[in-house]
Amino acid sequence: MANLQEESHSILQPILRVENLTKQFPGVLALDNVSFDVRRGEIHCLLGENGAGKSTLSETVYGTYTPTSGTIYFRGAPIDISSPKDAIKSGISIVHQHFVLVPPLSVIENVILGTQTSGLQLDTKVARKRLMELCENYGVDLNLDAKVWHLSVGEQQWVEIFKALYVGVDVLILDEPTAVLTPQQSERLFRVIKQMRDEGLAIIFITHKLKEVEAVSDRVTVLRKGRNVGTVKTADVTKQDLANMMVGRDVVFTIEREEMEPGEVIVEARDLRALDDRGEEILRGVSFDICERQILGLAGVSGNGQRNLFDVLVGQQKPSGGSLKMAGKDMTNSSPAAHMHAGLASIPEDRINQGLVMDFKVEENLVLGLHRREPFARGRTLINQNAIRVFANESIEKFEIVTPSAAQISKTLSGGNLQKLILAREFSQDTRFLIASQPTRGLDVGSTEYVRRQILEQKRNGAAVLLISEDLDEILNLSDYIAVIYKGEIMDIVKADEVTIERLGLLMAGVAEGAA
Amino acid sequence: MIKLLGFRIEKRLDANPWVQLASVFVALLVSFGVSAILVNSAGVDVEEAFRAMLKGSVGSKSAFAETIVQATPLIFTGLAVAVAFRGRLFNIGAEGQFFAGAMAAYWTSTACSSLSPVPMALAVFAAAMIAGAVWGAIPALLKIRFGASEVIVTVMLNFVIEYILSYLLGGPWQDPGSSFLQTSKIPEAAIYSRMIPGTRIHLGFFIAMLLVVVVWFLLWKTTLGYEIRAFGINPLAANYKGIPQLRTILLTLAISGAIAALAGASEVTGLHGRLRLDISTGYGFTGIIVALLGRLHPVGVVLAALVMGAVVNGSLAMQIATGVPIALAFVIQGVVLVALLTVEVAAQYRIRRISNV
Amino acid sequence: MSDFFQTAIIVGLLTSTIRIATPFLFAAIGALVTERSGILNLGVEGMLQMGALVGFLFTFQSGNHWLGVLAACVSGILLGLFMGFMVTTLKLNQTVSGLAVNLLSSGITFYWFRVRFSGGGSSNLPNLKIFEVGEIPVLSNIPYIGDILFSQHWLTYIAILFVPLVWYFLHKTRIGLQLRSTGENPRAVDMKGLSVAKHQYGALAFGGMMAGLGGAFLTLASSGMFIPEIQAGRGWIAIALVIFGNWIPWRILLAALFFGFIEALQLSMQALDANVPHQLLLALPYLLTIFALTISAGRSRRPLHLGIPYQRE
Repeated sequence: MANLQEESHSILQPILRVENLTKQFPGVLALDNVSFDVRRGEIHCLLGENGAGKSTLSETVYGTYTPTSGTIYFRGAPIDISSPKDAIKSGISIVHQHFVLVPPLSVIENVILGTQTSGLQLDTKVARKRLMELCENYGVDLNLDAKVWHLSVGEQQWVEIFKALYVGVDVLILDEPTAVLTPQQSERLFRVIKQMRDEGLAIIFITHKLKEVEAVSDRVTVLRKGRNVGTVKTADVTKQDLANMMVGRDVVFTIEREEMEPGEVIVEARDLRALDDRGEEILRGVSFDICERQILGLAGVSGNGQRNLFDVLVGQQKPSGGSLKMAGKDMTNSSPAAHMHAGLASIPEDRINQGLVMDFKVEENLVLGLHRREPFARGRTLINQNAIRVFANESIEKFEIVTPSAAQISKTLSGGNLQKLILAREFSQDTRFLIASQPTRGLDVGSTEYVRRQILEQKRNGAAVLLISEDLDEILNLSDYIAVIYKGEIMDIVKADEVTIERLGLLMAGVAEGAA
Repeated sequence: MIKLLGFRIEKRLDANPWVQLASVFVALLVSFGVSAILVNSAGVDVEEAFRAMLKGSVGSKSAFAETIVQATPLIFTGLAVAVAFRGRLFNIGAEGQFFAGAMAAYWTSTACSSLSPVPMALAVFAAAMIAGAVWGAIPALLKIRFGASEVIVTVMLNFVIEYILSYLLGGPWQDPGSSFLQTSKIPEAAIYSRMIPGTRIHLGFFIAMLLVVVVWFLLWKTTLGYEIRAFGINPLAANYKGIPQLRTILLTLAISGAIAALAGASEVTGLHGRLRLDISTGYGFTGIIVALLGRLHPVGVVLAALVMGAVVNGSLAMQIATGVPIALAFVIQGVVLVALLTVEVAAQYRIRRISNV
Repeated sequence: MSDFFQTAIIVGLLTSTIRIATPFLFAAIGALVTERSGILNLGVEGMLQMGALVGFLFTFQSGNHWLGVLAACVSGILLGLFMGFMVTTLKLNQTVSGLAVNLLSSGITFYWFRVRFSGGGSSNLPNLKIFEVGEIPVLSNIPYIGDILFSQHWLTYIAILFVPLVWYFLHKTRIGLQLRSTGENPRAVDMKGLSVAKHQYGALAFGGMMAGLGGAFLTLASSGMFIPEIQAGRGWIAIALVIFGNWIPWRILLAALFFGFIEALQLSMQALDANVPHQLLLALPYLLTIFALTISAGRSRRPLHLGIPYQRE
C-alpha cells in the first residue's frame, strides 16, 4: 500500500483531468472554462457556495450532463463521457447529494442492480460475499436484506458508497456527503475516506463547509460563479483565505444572534404525535414553547420527523395525538387556512413544490393563500386585479425581487428571488408565528444573508420563530434556544450560547445526557 | 439533449405563443395529410374528396350554418373538459354527463309541460345543469373519499348511464306509438330549434357562446377559478396555502358536469325534439380533442369546436359525393390530437449547430 | 333430472367464467408489466380494440386463426411502441397520451371496418368460425373439472401461463429487477448507466402485445365477429384490476376471474329470463369496477414513480 502511495506521488500524473470545461444551460452559464485534476491517493475538495458549479462539474464528469465544450482526460487520454455508462466503465463513481436508491428493494438488490451483464437469473451469491467483505473492511454494519426504506439516512449513504466500491472504482466523487450526518458520523466518514485514499483511490469531495476542507483534503479547488478561482494545497491556506476565494471579497465571520426581551408564550406544542404515510409513528411526543421575540432552532439530521412536524404545525397534517396552541387558541386540528388567519407565516423547505405555483405570474404567487382576502378579492369571490398589481409592485420593490415585472411567469426567477417572493408574501400579514424550514438551502451568500436578516427582523417585530435547519452553524448563529430532534422526539432543549457543537452532535445522534 | 450530425437539439427557454399557434396548424396539416393517404387507399380521388369536404363545411352559408350546428355540442363538451383539465381532473365522463343533461331536459319538459317557453327554457336548462353537476359530483366524491381515479370512474359511469337510458327508452319512457328506442316528442314550448331562419342553428349555440364568456370569467376573474388553476398546476402548494382540496375537486367536476349536461339538453331541445339513444356521436370524447386543441382556453375551444364541426360536416358531404365513409372524420380527429401533441413538443426545442466540442 | 340440470348450469357458469376472464387477464397482466416500469398506460382500451379488429381482419382474409393472432400481437406492439414514443421520448402527459391512443384507435378501427365491410346493416355483419377449443388430452376427460379447466381455448391457457411467467420475470431475473427499479426510481436506474427508455419501451411493447391478444380473443374465440367498440370498456376495467390486485400477478388473476364470474352470471341470468331488467345486469361489471376502486386500500405495491415522466436533469 505504501508503495502505491509513493508511486502515485512521484508520478504525479492525475488520473482524471478536465480542461477548459464549459457547461451552458438555457439562461445559465454553470461552468466557465474550468480546468481541474485529481490524482490517485488524493482527496481533492471542490469548495464553493451554493450555485458555484460544484455539482455541475461532478455531474458532467459522471456523464449526467454533457459539456458544451472542453475535454475530459482519463489516465492521460481524452475520453468522451456522454452518459453515466461511460463514466462507470472508466471506474468513475459518484455518491449523489440526493441518494438514488430504490426504496422498496433491499440493500443487496440496490447494489447489484445493473451490475450483472449476462444471464437470465439474478445472482446474489457473489454480491453477498463481496458486500460482507466491504462491511468488514470499513467497519460498517448493514443488514443486506433490509429494504432500503427502513434504513436510516446514514445507513443509506453507506449503501450508496458500497454501490461504487462493489463495481470497483478508481475515482470516487462525494457530493456534500455530510449534509445528512451528525458531526460524529461525519468524523467516521472522514476516517473511512482517508482509508480509501491510502488504498489508492482518487477522491473528489464536494462541500461548502470550510471545516471539512481542513479536516479531510490534500488539495482544494475553489469554484465561484462557475469559474475555478484557484487550486491550492490545503496545508498552504487558512480558512479565511478560502472564504475570501469562495465569496470574492473579505468575509467577516459574525454572530448574528440578537438578545431580546422575550414576550408572552405564543406557541405551545404538547406531546405532538404524527404518523407517516405508511402508518408508522414518526413524531413521538414533541413538546416545546416559543415566546414572542424568541427564535427556537430545531437541529437534527434530516429524516427524523422535521417534515412531519412542519406539516403538523402549519395544519397540513392532522396530528395523531397531542395538542397545539397559538396565542392561546387551540389549533390542533385546524386547517392551513385557519393557521394563516391566526397569524402563521411559513417558509417551506421545498419552495418550488410546497410554496409556489411556478406557472403562475409573480403577482399571482404573491397572493397565494391571501387571494380571498380584502383587498385582493371583492366579497371573497371576485378578483381585484388592481389591488393585486399594486401589492405586487410594492413587494417587488420592498424585498428587492429581481424580475422584469409583476406579470412575469414565476419559473423564470432564480432561487434567491423565489425565496424573496415567498418572504414578501408571508411577511405581508401580521406574523405571530414564523416557521422557517431550511430557509437558506441552495441560496448564494447574498440571498442567504438577506433571508437571515429578514428572519431576525420578524423576531424584532414580535414574532415567535421556529427555525428548522440542517445547517448547524445557521442554528447556532440565529437561535436563542436549540431543540434537537431525533427519531421524532425532542432530545433536549438548550440555550444556544451555552451549548457546544460536540454536545449537539451527540444529541443529534440520539445520545442523551449522562449516557456513555 | 440529443447530438445529431453536428447539430444539437436543445430546449427553448421561452414559450413563444406564435410557435404554439403554428404547431396547431402543423397538426391540422399533418392530419389532413394522413387522411389524404387513407382516402387514396380507399380508391377515391383525393382532390375530389377534399373539395367536397371543404364545400360541404364552409363552402356556402348553409354549409357553414350546419357546421355551427355540428360544433355546438362540441363547444359545450370542450368547455367542460377544459375546465376539468385546468383543475388537473381528467373528466372522461362528458359523454355520460351529456346524457344526464338530455334526460333531465326531457323529464323536466314533460313534467312541467304547461310552462310557456321562457320559464320552460329556464327550468329545462337548470334541471340539466343540476343533473350534470350531480353526475359529475359522483366521481369527485369517490376520488375525495376513496382516492378512486376519476379517469376510470367517469368512463364506467358513461356505460352505466347509457344502460339506464336504454332501459328507460325501452320501458317507462318509450314513445307509446313507436317501436323504436325513443320518447315521444317533447312539448312545443321546449323546442328551440331553427333560431336563424333557413338554418338548423338552435338556441344551444347562443347558450354555448354565452358559456364561453362565463367560463373565461370563472377561470380568470373569480377566486374559485384562481383556486382551480392553482390546484391544477400544483395541488401540493395549493393545499399548503389553504386552498381546500375537497371543495375544489367537487366544484370543478360539478361545474364540468353541468356544462357537459347543457350539451345534451341543447341537442334534445334544439335539434331532435325527443330523447333517443343516438343523440350523441361521441361528443364527450371529441370534446377532449377540442379542449386540447383549444389549449384549454375558452376562445381556443370555440375555434377548435368549429374546426371539428367542419370536419364532421364536411365528411358527410364527402361521403355523399365520393362514398368515403363519414367515419373518416373520426380518424382525422384522432390524428389531429396525436399530431398536435407531438408537434407541441417539437415546438419547445430548437436546432443549433454545435461549435467544436 | 333437475340436479343434473343444476350441475350443468354450474359447470357452464364456471367454464364461461374462465373464458370471459381471458381478455381481462391478458390486458391486466400486460398493464401490470407496463406499470411496473413506471408508465400508466391508459391506452389499453384502444390497443384491445385494434387487436380485435386486426385479428378479425387477418383471420377473415386468410382463413388462419393463428395468423390473426400474430397480426393482433404486432398491432399491439406497434401501438405500445408508439405510446412509448409519446411518453418516454417526448415525455408527454401519460393520461393525455393514453387518451390519444384510444381516440386514434377508435377512429381508425371504425373507419377501417366501414371501408372493408361497406354496405349492409347490422343484420349483415361478417362473421367467422371461432377458434376451436383446445382440449387437453386425458385431463379434459375428468368429469366436470375437465370441462371447466381443460377444455378452454388455447389462448386462455396462454393467458393463464403468463401469470407465473410474469411473476418469475419480475422477481427472479436481472432484467425484471431493472424493470421494477425503473418504476420505483428511474433516476437510480439511469445513474447506473442503464437505459430507462429501453425498459419502458419494452414494457409498453409487451403491454401492447398482451392487449392485442386480449382483443383478438374477443373476436376470434369469444364471438366470431367484430363490431365497433366491441371491447366495451374492458381496457379500463383491466387497469382497475391491476389496482384491485395490488400489482401482484396472482391477485390480478383472481380479480379477473371474479369479474369473469360476474359477467358469466349476468349472462346466465339473462338467459334464465330473471325478473331483473337486463340493462342493470349489463351495467354490473362497470358498477363493480367502480366499487373495486373504492375498496382498493391495499395499494402498498404501487410503483412509486408511476405516471411521472423521467427527466435526467
